[in-house]
Amino acid sequence: MRKISLVLLFVFAFAAFQTAFAQTKIAPLDIKQRTLKNGLRVVSVQNNSSPTVTVQVWFDVGSKNDPNGRNGFAHLFEHLMFKSTKNLKSEQFDRLTEDVGGNNNAFTSDDVTAYHEVVPSNYLETILWAEAERLSNLNVDEPNFLSERKVVQEEFRQGVLAQPYGRFQEAIQTLSYTTHPYKRTTIGTIEDLEAATVADAQKFHKTFYRPDNATLIVVGDFEQKQLDAWVDKYFNRIERPSGAIPRVTEVEPARTAEKRQTVKAPNVPLPAVAITYLAPDSKSRDIAALKIAQAILSGGESSRLYQELIYKQQIAQEASFGVDERVDKGLLTFTAVMASGKTPQMGEKSLLAELKKIQDAPVSAKELEKAKNSIVANALRGLETNRGKAFAIGNGVIYENDPNAVNTELKQLQAVTAADVQRVMKQYFADNNRVVIYYVNEENSK
Amino acid sequence: MKNEKFKIVENIAAFFILNFAFLIPCAQAQEKPPAPSAPQEVKIPAIQNSELPNGLKIAVVERKIVPLVTVSLLLNAAAAKGEVKDGLANTTASLLTKGTKTRTATEIAEQIEFLGGNISARANWNSTVVNINVTSDKLEQAIAIMSDVVLNPAFAPKEIDLFKTQTNDELAVALKQPGSLAGFVASRYTFGEHNAIGTPESLKSIAQADIAKFYRETYLPNRAVLIFAGDVSSENADAIAKKYFGTWNNPKMPVAKIDAPQVPTTAMVKKMQSKPSKTVVGKILVVDLPKSGQAAVTYAKKLGLGRVNCFEEKCQSDETYYPSTVTNTILGGGYSARLNAEIRIKQGLSYGAGSNLASRNDQTNLLARVQTKNETAAKVVELVAAEIDRLGSSTAEEAELTPRKLTLTGAFGNSLETTDGLAARLVDLYTFGLSADELNTYMTRVRSVSAEEVKKFASANLNGGDIIIVGDARIFMDDLKKRFPTQKIEVISANELDLNREDLRKEKKVSGVTNPKLKR
Repeated sequence: MRKISLVLLFVFAFAAFQTAFAQTKIAPLDIKQRTLKNGLRVVSVQNNSSPTVTVQVWFDVGSKNDPNGRNGFAHLFEHLMFKSTKNLKSEQFDRLTEDVGGNNNAFTSDDVTAYHEVVPSNYLETILWAEAERLSNLNVDEPNFLSERKVVQEEFRQGVLAQPYGRFQEAIQTLSYTTHPYKRTTIGTIEDLEAATVADAQKFHKTFYRPDNATLIVVGDFEQKQLDAWVDKYFNRIERPSGAIPRVTEVEPARTAEKRQTVKAPNVPLPAVAITYLAPDSKSRDIAALKIAQAILSGGESSRLYQELIYKQQIAQEASFGVDERVDKGLLTFTAVMASGKTPQMGEKSLLAELKKIQDAPVSAKELEKAKNSIVANALRGLETNRGKAFAIGNGVIYENDPNAVNTELKQLQAVTAADVQRVMKQYFADNNRVVIYYVNEENSK
Repeated sequence: MKNEKFKIVENIAAFFILNFAFLIPCAQAQEKPPAPSAPQEVKIPAIQNSELPNGLKIAVVERKIVPLVTVSLLLNAAAAKGEVKDGLANTTASLLTKGTKTRTATEIAEQIEFLGGNISARANWNSTVVNINVTSDKLEQAIAIMSDVVLNPAFAPKEIDLFKTQTNDELAVALKQPGSLAGFVASRYTFGEHNAIGTPESLKSIAQADIAKFYRETYLPNRAVLIFAGDVSSENADAIAKKYFGTWNNPKMPVAKIDAPQVPTTAMVKKMQSKPSKTVVGKILVVDLPKSGQAAVTYAKKLGLGRVNCFEEKCQSDETYYPSTVTNTILGGGYSARLNAEIRIKQGLSYGAGSNLASRNDQTNLLARVQTKNETAAKVVELVAAEIDRLGSSTAEEAELTPRKLTLTGAFGNSLETTDGLAARLVDLYTFGLSADELNTYMTRVRSVSAEEVKKFASANLNGGDIIIVGDARIFMDDLKKRFPTQKIEVISANELDLNREDLRKEKKVSGVTNPKLKR
């Protein structure tokens, strides 16, 4: 992420459906989409309720595409997109957004890099021009590159080294994969960042920042015809490069044995435990049932993990189960930060007991309905703003290859049965396919 | 039921036509960004106010775009500033959702989550706020739960114990993060306050009787405001409020007068206003946290200026409020503000540098924060001090001032897009006894602040603050001494830190006699 806050773009990807039983209704987004002749996908939703508009460009490139020996490069590159282009000075994006009452930011994850702005709608044409400009004319100089590389190294220190559980998150990612580039973290390492050069940046831009690898999403206050004309004017002139876009071909093999590791770090006040499993890819129909399981196990204080580990047993300070959805195999992760005086062993035992419970007996009708109700309401909260709507669309583009997924995904979630939940919890979780990580303070460990 | 409708004042967001005067094109530029078209108005939604016979004030902002509603109950008297034991207000608030006379903690969570809703209750320095956010078709069911937790809390001993244990663990984590630890230290060291959460020791001293008493004395309908924001009509909100909060009674016995926002007398103002300090940096405190992954550098200054001025029951924003807000935005409010521009963008020394002002009735806390690698901590201290100094010693150009004000008004407009954001703005105004009408004048008042006012405010108030550095002191101490050779530098080990005490140091036992406890 370019600015402050961690990589937090979950769930947005739902909406639009209705059912018989007093289910809250979500109006579908009126999504318009087309593809320019250079391959740029353009998706828009007109909403004139306030005089603002969001412009976002989602690129099908993420840290999984980091060059060899350059862990963290896709994210470092994201920062460079705010530097100079042929017709823009460094930080001029801030002049065109923040300085006129808007804002901008960007984020990089394993699978995607997205740039997003919100501006007063009278600046829409300006921002469309600017996004086209940095897609086609990026021109980073050495001093800016070096300075921004230092910023990203500080981002690493702030997010990984200065946080008691920063190295824990890092370990979950790096220890959960053996083969797929997902085994590297998005933020990378200080050493690899140090090795990166301006030439790497030029090459990366040329390779991945092309119109046929991007989706432009515009949501907010505009007239469709005018928007289409501006998009044509500023984006049509960008040529589609010849040659194929390189894609990740490594396949993470199925796990065949349990793997365990203890990670030690300084300034860890309470030990923690993580148990990870490989998820199906994001287009799998099973993701819906896994997300329902996530809500039942981990959604709110009435969830099973909160009630058991935190409220009844009082062994954990935090307990969760998360579906980390990815284009290739993602992660299904149980974590617990222990209460003081409690051990990771106790956390592992209780988490696995909860797993067994949800494998052995179907969830109750009431739990299932509660999970669906909260997923619907959260989806609605995600769609409150233009930015949220565009995020939901962008997630559909990346994870489902479908800009309309926001309008259909809730139907899939609504169709999930207790038997589906039980089936996926049996299918993806076994004793011989888990990675167990204990995270402890280095001073107390022997 | 009184029902007075606020005059709707449509606010014209003069998103100034900037003409890109400050976007000097580079010499080789062949193409300029297209200029913006004419700006449009941002509409500030109308607010309907009414009051129940028990004195509970109701404010409703109806907006039908998304079927969500946020309801916030603001309890003005239940604030951390008035508590007798540190963390009492927040402990009381947090326990509301942990059981009532008829619902267990688990049932409260299950019922609100079954509705797809969420509920929270927290106290900060100025007030307690109970919040729900729910889809509008489930509003009444959710309010029924909200009303129960506010009117009938059980404060069961086992829930009190669990809350304390959990909070202690949360504090243990927070105190190992250099940035948050610096914030805790600044509260005590510079602002003369305690953290609203309390400390493990203060929480231990809180008994059920303290909680019950605090609840009895401060959870009063005639000191509360119930705010509805989102997809709900004023009529419906009023009816729901009457049904679920109409039976909430004020105690028959007169309760101790709660300090409503005070009217500062001239003498007080003179005393409160800090003398302009010659040196930017007052005291320097280092909290040594060995192996900390970064150093947190903070500049903390207590400003002797309250958020409001009140006469009888009527309050208005203090005349320094808007100049101070704009000054802070220039200093550290946003990506392009001076601290970030210098420390991150120009020097690459941090992922982010910023500042904020926390308002109180009688003071304002300025906190500028930067995290950097331990090696560059001392250099960052100099850079922060230089920016503080520059604000008071030179006048900002319009080319800087105008965009910073637009950043502020733009963020204000964006914050009104969600029901939570809308409710939070109203909570902020009502916390200080301000009229909701200030939503309508906010943008205009921000725009009217001049560069001279900023300079005047900064030179009179910002200098002389404390530098607090939390990090691996071994790495930066020599450099710090070199850069501040004449300044006394106090060093405390994180292990020796006691946030309960004004001197921040754990009590040392001297020949069996305990030192008298210093507090506040």
